[in-house]
Amino acid sequence: MIDYILFYSGLTLIFIGGICDLLGSLGLLKFPNFYVRLHAATVGAIGGAVIPLIGVSLVALGSDFLPNKYIIAGASFITAIIILIIAPTGSHALAYAAHRAGIVEWKPKCDHLERDKK
Amino acid sequence: MYSMMVLIPLYLSAFIIYVVRAIKGPTIADAVLAIDCLSYDLAVFLAILAIYFKSAFLVSSAIILALWAYLLDLYIAKHLVSKEVGA
Amino acid sequence: MIMVHLLMLLVASLLGLFFSYMAITEKDLLKAIAYSAGQGVAYSILFYLLMAPDVVLAYIAIAVGIYSALLVFVVSKTTRYEED
Repeated sequence: MIDYILFYSGLTLIFIGGICDLLGSLGLLKFPNFYVRLHAATVGAIGGAVIPLIGVSLVALGSDFLPNKYIIAGASFITAIIILIIAPTGSHALAYAAHRAGIVEWKPKCDHLERDKK
Repeated sequence: MYSMMVLIPLYLSAFIIYVVRAIKGPTIADAVLAIDCLSYDLAVFLAILAIYFKSAFLVSSAIILALWAYLLDLYIAKHLVSKEVGA
Repeated sequence: MIMVHLLMLLVASLLGLFFSYMAITEKDLLKAIAYSAGQGVAYSILFYLLMAPDVVLAYIAIAVGIYSALLVFVVSKTTRYEED
């Protein structure tokens, strides 16, 4: 009984992740400049990568047809935690570098980072 | 098995849209961001395929892909900030 | 069942071809590096689908990691825009 619950909950998590992934990529396509696209990138990276990986680990735990299911479950869970850590730091480094290099043309109402630097 | 038929086009269309943003991106940061998200979602796709192919060796490549995509970010960010990387 | 694998192989190879074409015809060298990293990622799907996980590990470490790091280092030492 527990296998079915794990299997289908993991499957729904993977489906939710797939839809989040699609929405994130559409957002990345449609947003005006780089800083707004970071929000869509976070949706695509966290919602589209961490949630399906947790779903994959649940599916691997709940499935009986896999020969060595605990390896796949553990590895995918660790990948989910790793992506949870590195996705924000990577996009933060990019955003800081883009702001320092000034390569993004945008019309800010007020640029807090610029004011803090002075 | 039928869930795979729904999932694979969902992820493939997301990859194509990321590639469109990577190609169209005006600045370097857009291209790197799109390739970053592309490789994170590819790591998920590899993990899903690992279950689909029922073998345990395939999952380790997802971790390596996620980590190296992160490093690609850092190199380009380091170059954009201080115009010199590494030594 | 085999059709799904062939479809994935087709899409991955087309993405790799497209990325490498864009990398060649790009004037801004940093974008060319990003496109070559994207081409490495696209080709890692091919190796993965052809059941070669060890090659995937090596190829990702080289194409996405070390290669782009070296090229960014080279670009930081020389000019960034390729004058034609």
